[in-house]
Amino acid sequence: MKKFSSSFIFFVAMIFSVSSHADIETNNFRIILAPAVAKSTAAYGVIKNSGVEADTLIDISSDAAMVMLHKTEINSGMAKMIHMPNLVIEAGSELVLEPMSYHLMLSDLSEDVFKQGETIMLLLEFEKMGVIKIEVPIVPAWE
Amino acid sequence: MLKKILTLLFISLILNVNAANSKAGSLPILSGVGGEFTAVDSNGYTIEFNSYAGNVVVLAFGYTSCADICPFTLGYLKQLYNKLSSEEQQKVRMLFVTVDPEYDTPEHLKAFLAHFNEDFIGISGSKEQTDYIVSLYQAEYNQLSAIGIPTQNIRRVQPKLFDDEAEAEEDTATLFSHSVSIYLVDKDGFTRSVEYTGTPKDEFSEKIKQLINE
Repeated sequence: MKKFSSSFIFFVAMIFSVSSHADIETNNFRIILAPAVAKSTAAYGVIKNSGVEADTLIDISSDAAMVMLHKTEINSGMAKMIHMPNLVIEAGSELVLEPMSYHLMLSDLSEDVFKQGETIMLLLEFEKMGVIKIEVPIVPAWE
Repeated sequence: MLKKILTLLFISLILNVNAANSKAGSLPILSGVGGEFTAVDSNGYTIEFNSYAGNVVVLAFGYTSCADICPFTLGYLKQLYNKLSSEEQQKVRMLFVTVDPEYDTPEHLKAFLAHFNEDFIGISGSKEQTDYIVSLYQAEYNQLSAIGIPTQNIRRVQPKLFDDEAEAEEDTATLFSHSVSIYLVDKDGFTRSVEYTGTPKDEFSEKIKQLINE
């Protein structure tokens, strides 16, 4: 019985362990090719939390640029960018980053790498999930 | 019988008048929006707004350090412009008025806008000049940071190191909130419609064509 109990606890622990490490996935991330003289651009994509627990995006970074999660809000015809630190992504939900909404703002771009056809490594760090590395392609804008 | 004919004529007359009003009224002059101004274009020339008279003008506000709204708006305007024939394009001027003339010099605006279309015209000048244009169009803008924020301070994570202090001082990212309206101005300089990037491009381009053909 004791052996069964410890096996059961181990099994349950494994389930939770697996779920907490397989909750977050990213889809369709891309960086918009900015004009050569621009000092910033945006990245869009989807962050999906398919797990049973909420997770918090606590860190975004890259060697090629400075990165922040912003949200564009439009009120009475005025657009405002709002910094969104420590954004919680609820269980079973997804954060859609798209134009005029949530987006990653990349600034202080490394000129030599921000070219069409290149990819940039972004590190998304979640409170529970840990760090996710994604290779993000640079794509032409709004064709 | 005569009564019937008269009734039909009366109804027909009313319908015609309504149709005429509808056509004329579809793009009424928006009084109090827009007007004459002086500024500097992206070729470095001082211009008067009436120098564009005879052309339909599409005018938007923004700034080049903007990562999301402004590039998206310019991409929208690029696609809109591409919906016009080359003959129509020659009768249209696409103006992007900066709310950050200190950073967006005419040369910088020219290089930035060329990424979208070389025909696009950047409007800069002194802060007083661009502020006046903003007020003419009843638009708004606000600097989100009181001073230019050194970009290493706004990066939340893993700051990229600057080689020296001078570079850090130079590299600033001033952020603004601003109006996102796109103004459609007729050949006489009257604002006739206020659109935004949610306007279907076919609908917007038809309005431009309507003003070209007036």
